[in-house]
Amino acid sequence: MVVEAKFAKIVGAGNASSQKETLEEYSRDMSFVNPVRPAFIVRPKTAAEIEKIVNLANETNTPLVPVSSGSPHFRGDTVPGTGGVVIVDLSGMKKIIKITRHNRVAMVEPGVTFAELIPAVTREGLRLNMPLLPRQSKSVVGSMLEREPVIMPKYQWDSSDPLACIEVVFGNGETFRTGQAAGPGTIEEQWAAGGVQKTPYGPGPAQWQRLVQGAQGTMGIVTWASLRCELLPELEQPFVVGSANLGKLTDLAHWLVRMKLVNECFMVNNTDLAAIMAEKWPTDYCDLKDSLPRWILFYNVAGYHYSPEERVSTQIKGITDICKQVGVEPVKAAGKVSANEILKTVQKPSGEPYWKLRYKGACQDIFFITIYDKLERQLSIMNELANQYGFQSSDIGIYLQPMVQGTNCHCEFNLFYDPTNPREVARVKTLYTKATEALMKVGAFFSRPYDTTARMIVNQNAASVDALNRVKGVLDPNHIMNPGKLCF
Amino acid sequence: MAISKEAYKEIEDVVGPENISDDPSIKDAYRSQYLTVVLPGNTEEVAAVVKLFNKHKIPFQVQSTGWSFYPPEYDFIFVDMRRMNRIIEINEKNMYAVVEPYVIVAELQAELFKRGLTCNMKGSGANTTALAMSGHGHMGLSTGTGDRNDLATEWVTDEGEIIRLGTVGASGEWFCGDGPGPSLRGVIRIGGVMTKQSTKIYHWGGPTKYALEGNSPRYTLPEIPANMMVRYYSFPTVEKLIEAELKIGESEIAFELMGFCPSMVSSNITTNNEEDFATLERFTKEVQGPGFMVIIIGNFPGDFEYKKMVLEQIIKETKGKSLKAVEDHNAEATLLFQCTRVTGSIRETFRAGGMFSSMMVQGQRYDLHVEWLEQAAVWKRELIKKGLIIADDGQQFGWGEEQGHLGHTEIFCRYNPYDADSFKAVHDWMDKVAKLALTGHYSVPVNSALPIEEIGSQACNYHIWLGKIKQAFDPNLVGARTGFSYVGADTAGAHTLVYPPKPPAKQP
Repeated sequence: MVVEAKFAKIVGAGNASSQKETLEEYSRDMSFVNPVRPAFIVRPKTAAEIEKIVNLANETNTPLVPVSSGSPHFRGDTVPGTGGVVIVDLSGMKKIIKITRHNRVAMVEPGVTFAELIPAVTREGLRLNMPLLPRQSKSVVGSMLEREPVIMPKYQWDSSDPLACIEVVFGNGETFRTGQAAGPGTIEEQWAAGGVQKTPYGPGPAQWQRLVQGAQGTMGIVTWASLRCELLPELEQPFVVGSANLGKLTDLAHWLVRMKLVNECFMVNNTDLAAIMAEKWPTDYCDLKDSLPRWILFYNVAGYHYSPEERVSTQIKGITDICKQVGVEPVKAAGKVSANEILKTVQKPSGEPYWKLRYKGACQDIFFITIYDKLERQLSIMNELANQYGFQSSDIGIYLQPMVQGTNCHCEFNLFYDPTNPREVARVKTLYTKATEALMKVGAFFSRPYDTTARMIVNQNAASVDALNRVKGVLDPNHIMNPGKLCF
Repeated sequence: MAISKEAYKEIEDVVGPENISDDPSIKDAYRSQYLTVVLPGNTEEVAAVVKLFNKHKIPFQVQSTGWSFYPPEYDFIFVDMRRMNRIIEINEKNMYAVVEPYVIVAELQAELFKRGLTCNMKGSGANTTALAMSGHGHMGLSTGTGDRNDLATEWVTDEGEIIRLGTVGASGEWFCGDGPGPSLRGVIRIGGVMTKQSTKIYHWGGPTKYALEGNSPRYTLPEIPANMMVRYYSFPTVEKLIEAELKIGESEIAFELMGFCPSMVSSNITTNNEEDFATLERFTKEVQGPGFMVIIIGNFPGDFEYKKMVLEQIIKETKGKSLKAVEDHNAEATLLFQCTRVTGSIRETFRAGGMFSSMMVQGQRYDLHVEWLEQAAVWKRELIKKGLIIADDGQQFGWGEEQGHLGHTEIFCRYNPYDADSFKAVHDWMDKVAKLALTGHYSVPVNSALPIEEIGSQACNYHIWLGKIKQAFDPNLVGARTGFSYVGADTAGAHTLVYPPKPPAKQP
């Protein structure tokens, strides 16, 4: 209790809690990770408070778990991996620090959600390259740190995008700024000179932000991040292409992304699109799903300041030629879902309840990075395993997101299930583990491993584990940051 | 012999007698009397010899193609990667190519052109490595920078451990370099040896092969492809130039925007210095102020016409003026070939004076960097007036990258390195310009100009952090000159204080 009082003193008594109900909330999430109750919750409001918290944690050997998004959580990364944890809840740090149209960049604290940032950047004529329908409570910084896929692959030049720079309190208690933000001078001095914090690499030959992304809070605590924004189009023309033949759609997606012809571009199966678009449950969902082709590719052609109509019409003509070669036909609606409705929907966060929870109340995702050549085999294995473990394969939602300008593809299986049905829970839990194991063997790359499967995935590459631990030894030598996660 | 007989023999056992030498003639060829050269042929050999360097505590330097070479003045091993020169894979549908370190960009790009693809290319040019290193170059607007093009990588650390990043470590595939978990792409440029790497590739709307006519370096084309165009525009003010750059980036119409100053254009299209200087004089009279070269390429019917129309509109709005000489067929053809194949780098830099020294900063061009550059140019013109450097009007250059999201800004002096006054003047200028970047809070300058403590203390003490990480992977401190040295521009060890100035070598 003495230590807890010291933490409370840093943030103020009103921003600290050890109430049983509150601790219980942070002890579990919707993943299959075993619950572990934290010892204490602190809610800092400034970077200075965070630095003090990390230093105190080093002095007292107290493990810290940073959390920036609001509930519900799904991946087990914010559930304590050990006892005695202090949760550092950053969701109250909600400053949108700066948005600069000229430089197409925004800077935000970790508690800022997509729902809060979207209107702010829109007012400046900008938009975010965001994940597909994040939940209302999802932190923008959290999403970028997790390297979540984004829906405009043309603008994702690097897997780290749209993250630009960060300020991070490393596990040893020292504050560092990455990329252009590192210096010279303070952020205020850089602003006074006319600078922004956007260039992600350096200083020096290291790329520091990459060591914090994907780390699940094991390297340090981010106090703000800047992100690149895109221009708000003046004209948009969305289309859908339906097919039972996924190969044709991936061929088309390849050319659309390769030639940088479209903004939003992704593929979903009928289960996922129905789950995303249905308003009345379960009737809408069933009707929509029945009306849809097996696979749907969605894309959006955009025009900007200069002759947007001409640009859009020219690109549509170009795309039409590609579609003819591929043997598919772009249309304005698939079944009972129009392309315009999809566009409006995916340019915002999910409505409430979160779209993945509407069908059955819970959802376990299996996601990995792959390439088109391997998809057919991976989808087939998933179907076989679903059948083997008693999960209706037609109930699996599938989302395919071309990434990093077409160099790879995020593949996500959404296993919708009823969390109140123990048998269904057990089936999904088994399927989740077995499918992860089987998919790894056929080239599925689990770049972002979470929860119960993380250690199995990370330990496949012993040399990489050793290297990551060398880095960890420098940034968080006392291992106070989120112990028990990944290979730490 | 620079290293012990025992060490030499053990290394020879790995690479074979034909791939190690400390023969005086070989030392002369590499311009260092302190060097023993080792040429590994594959990753396992690299790992094995690096382990031996650690065992015997021999400092080593590794370089692939290189552009320049700065041997240390102590006994060391030079690992020359020239035997590792294979293109491993070109994956068209998934937009990446896998190369070994001695594949040059010209080779990779020639293979990619056949498939309607191209790759990022560093400013150091077509004859440097195709590895996605940290270089910035002519096609940055549409192909990004070296730092952001690498995917999966096979990396031998300074201790000799083979680490395979991302998918290559998981399944032998090359499509992703990040994870599982944090991305080690963050540290692979701090040391060790990259033995294979996957790099992003991009759509290419130009010909599968240029139908060249004439002789090097003045190649030309019988005709400019109908979907391609090169123009050079000058502007009344630097503000107008930057406005045009910004608009071209945001409208996504250009394949390449290279902020050439007229001297770089004249260097590219001429065959010798006399012709170069005469052409420059003519250009200087014609241009109204700072300028850039633009290449647009149409990727499908109607695309070229749309891009050309938007370009003309932007140039009109920003009061740009086209340099007539570049509208000439031969000049346009030469620039088109040279600037998409990036073959003119040596002419732009070394030819005029024999040496160049450059100061560059990275970050958006639209903010403070151009202001810094303008002052650097004022100081450079003082050297021109004194006759200490080549008279190219002091002009500076740069370009937007990733459609203007990022950028590169640079200014260099070309001079005679054997003239002591010139040498000193240029290096004093470098110091002054670097200090201005720091004190004006413009940007972190390249590290060679100032002591690293002076730079690092102004940038979150990154040199201390980097030293800690470097040491974590190089506990024997043998790898000072590894890492960021593939184009010969820099070494990671120079960013830290962990390396003693003259590491001890074990004497025979």
